[in-house]
Amino acid sequence: MSDSNSTVRWTLNGTEVENEAGMTIMEAAKVHGVDIPQFCYHPGLSIAGNCRICMVESNRSPKPVISCSERIAEGLEIKTQSEVAVDARNSVMEFQLINHPLDCPVCDKAGECVLQDHSYEHGPDRSRFVEDKNIRHTKELGPTIDIWGNRCIVCTRCVRFCDEISGTGELCVVERGDRSVVDVFPGVPIDNSLAGNTVDICPVGALISSDFKYEARVWNMDKTSSVCGGCSRGCNVEVETLDGFVKRLTPRENLDVNDWWMCDHGRYGWRHLYADSRLEGAQHDGQAVSPTGTSGALHQLLSSSSSTAFLVDPFMTCEELHLVRSIANSLGGSTIAGWLPAAGTEENFPGGFKISADKHPNRKGAEHVLGGDLFTTSADQLKSALSNGSIDTLVAFVGGDGFEGAGGEWNDLISKAGKRIVFATQQGSWCEGADLVIPATAPLEKEGVWVNEDDRAQRTRSCRSLTSNHFPSELVVLQELQVHMEQRNRPLSAAGIFRELSEASDAFSGHSHSSLGDSGSPLSQRPAAMSSEGGQS
Amino acid sequence: MSFRKIFTPYIHEDKCHSLKFYQGKGGYEQARKALNDWQPDDLIETVKAANLRGRGGAGFPTGVKWGFVPKQSDKPKYLAVNADESEPGTFKDRLIMEKNPHLLLEGIIICCKAVGIHHAYIYIRGEFVFGANRLQNAIDRAYSEGILGENCLGSDFKLDVTVHRGAGAYICGEETGMLTSIEGDRGQPKLKPPFPAVEGLFGCPTVVNNVETLANLPYILEIGAEEYRKIGPENSPGPKLFCVSGHVEKPGVFELPMGVSLRTLIDEHAGGVWKGRKLKAVIPGGSSAHVLTADECDVAMDIESLAAAGTMLGSAGVIVMDETTCMVDALLNIMRFYHHESCGQCTPCREGTGWLEKIAHRIAVGGGRVEDLDLVTEVCDRMVGKTICALADAAAFPAESIVKKFREDFVAAIENGGSPAWVKRHPANTGGAAAHV
Repeated sequence: MSDSNSTVRWTLNGTEVENEAGMTIMEAAKVHGVDIPQFCYHPGLSIAGNCRICMVESNRSPKPVISCSERIAEGLEIKTQSEVAVDARNSVMEFQLINHPLDCPVCDKAGECVLQDHSYEHGPDRSRFVEDKNIRHTKELGPTIDIWGNRCIVCTRCVRFCDEISGTGELCVVERGDRSVVDVFPGVPIDNSLAGNTVDICPVGALISSDFKYEARVWNMDKTSSVCGGCSRGCNVEVETLDGFVKRLTPRENLDVNDWWMCDHGRYGWRHLYADSRLEGAQHDGQAVSPTGTSGALHQLLSSSSSTAFLVDPFMTCEELHLVRSIANSLGGSTIAGWLPAAGTEENFPGGFKISADKHPNRKGAEHVLGGDLFTTSADQLKSALSNGSIDTLVAFVGGDGFEGAGGEWNDLISKAGKRIVFATQQGSWCEGADLVIPATAPLEKEGVWVNEDDRAQRTRSCRSLTSNHFPSELVVLQELQVHMEQRNRPLSAAGIFRELSEASDAFSGHSHSSLGDSGSPLSQRPAAMSSEGGQS
Repeated sequence: MSFRKIFTPYIHEDKCHSLKFYQGKGGYEQARKALNDWQPDDLIETVKAANLRGRGGAGFPTGVKWGFVPKQSDKPKYLAVNADESEPGTFKDRLIMEKNPHLLLEGIIICCKAVGIHHAYIYIRGEFVFGANRLQNAIDRAYSEGILGENCLGSDFKLDVTVHRGAGAYICGEETGMLTSIEGDRGQPKLKPPFPAVEGLFGCPTVVNNVETLANLPYILEIGAEEYRKIGPENSPGPKLFCVSGHVEKPGVFELPMGVSLRTLIDEHAGGVWKGRKLKAVIPGGSSAHVLTADECDVAMDIESLAAAGTMLGSAGVIVMDETTCMVDALLNIMRFYHHESCGQCTPCREGTGWLEKIAHRIAVGGGRVEDLDLVTEVCDRMVGKTICALADAAAFPAESIVKKFREDFVAAIENGGSPAWVKRHPANTGGAAAHV
């Protein structure tokens, strides 16, 4: 094989092109805008070469070759639209469809099904198959995964995922020939922390998430590119909502963070958004406050406070934390500390995927905005101040999934403050007897920037809609408070606040919402256009 | 030089499988010479010069195959002996292993010396219980006599031989399918490249040879490449085992020089078509080969001549069908086999084999349509050359040739409401063909 630095000249559909040596035909063709269809190929998995849909015509072989495994070579001539190539593709489509049920109307995969898409493009418009179709099993493979065997095209993506990425190897193909179907061994269900990914990578509706089954037609859902708040890894996710309500989370490709995967804790961890204990409206001394009156009530309480402390949580965005800092500074003599949720267990997988033990999405960001001792020294100082009753007014942010509040010790201490203002996602002891309770946004509802454990800033976007939540976000309430305090003329968007932050803070300098884009950036990597020092010399 | 049998000269004699008997006939002398007197490269060159071609079915030149194995390798090298013999109509390797196991072992020693291999696996078809026991006994005996083991035949060459029994899958006779099976995985062919010679068993360079191929080696060393090449045609020389089954008076295994006429093989050696009937069709090289009609049987049984006749020598499993055979039933029988044995990995084979069986079945039971005949041909076209291994081809070749060459049988079955056997058993159902569609 030639060395990896050299380039190879080859011919694609009659045009001579160049690519890095060692690339497969499929990868190289994609660089030149030629998409070759695929079922069994997945960039994150080993090459199986079994679906045969990616066959193309080659001058080096009397038979069509599979472009997922054949590599480009000097002088190679590949045709993807010749009669041989088109017939090869059409053949595979005809074969794939003969035993595949025509149950798209009741199949959860419909609308995002690779087989549907390829059938539309390469398949016959009617079937020459007049025999009875094969019947294969429909059953539970695990607590979250069901299989519709009749739909299975035996691409083995899921099997390879469990072998190579999760390393748990629960799935296998049983039987032979057209009886082949994915299954588990008796008594060994697929039950690993990455199992949900097998549903995502299934190119057909064979593996189905029992959580999402019959929940929505995928084309009706709205998608929000966001970041999972389940741990400090910050997996990039797509939040899919129907009529404003989250229906499922799917991973969004980001090779610097989560590849193509996400864990099941994050995937199914959105139910707290719709818990019965969710706070929906603000309350002042037990009386409901209108959404527009929240910031006024907040201002009233703070303006009469002699000493104010802020307790922030590591779910808050950098923008929210920046606002807290501005407000605290202008109040004078106030302190800021933060609480952290209990640590979980770190999980590492053979495929390189990691679930972090730290269950907070923005500890790093909070430390950049509010100082490195926020969760340590400052927290200890605030604890003792609260214990000896020296705090007049406490503004506590109790976010995240919120069922446990800020944890036992903090929950007790919060109630010791003279006056108490609580931003909370869930009701609990921390709200009882509070002077002002303000509903808070949870992860997936926030608009702003989180910094993950690798110091990578990523934008989390809100999937909120008018029908799902009625209350204004903290970003709005805190800015309205600044308007009342005559620090600000009008509220800005999260991007506007981030601009203020990047101007005020060295750590964020040079970055902006648009430069972070969909996939984020390490904080140390300043965008080229914005770097004033690096660019000119 | 008159033809001398090398595989089967003594198979009717008592204890012909024993080490004592084998050594009494000069056994292991060539292996001893190979180990002590021959240089590995000279062995490979001699086998190349003899133009020994693989007897497993593909007919690839054995010496050339050995030459692909890297001379220097930091990994161990392996020999995987393909004794899975599961091609329908083939039962030649079985004979060698049951009646002449030491001949195979001698061939293994020569091959291993030539390529520098110190561990050979014999992958034997699971149903060959008797053969596996015979082979294991022969290996045990060879170890105890110092023929195998640390110092093979008194040389400093080390060789271990392991018998691995299959579990009944046809696909494990495909070379990479066999390797995955030995490795302990589901028996499925692997993508090539990498080829086994570079990356085979356990990811190491591996020679895969058929039993009969290896059994040729002592003889090649004995008489020399030049003399060996004089046996049969120049391009595929050597003695050959032909398996004849089906409608003949005297079915069996016949050792003859390569290139014997198919007609002679059937009429003289196998006693002719049975019951005085006429010949209808012959599959010359195991069920994966294109079928020949009675008129096409004046063909020499060697690799080139059969290829020129549009079929293949394959495993030399000759299946003879007489004039009473309904080719619809024959097609169904063959397609049922390939449908059952497809590993299910590649789409065209997984779906195509099942489809072909269903069509053949429908025609046989009276639901056939004239357009089905073109459909069979088109399905076959769409299967050939589009899969990882050759099982799809193996199913498509007989299917397309049977339908093409015996179209009248199919038309009759479609018109009469099924194959003759079906109509005879279900007289009331004939004519109800459309009910199946």
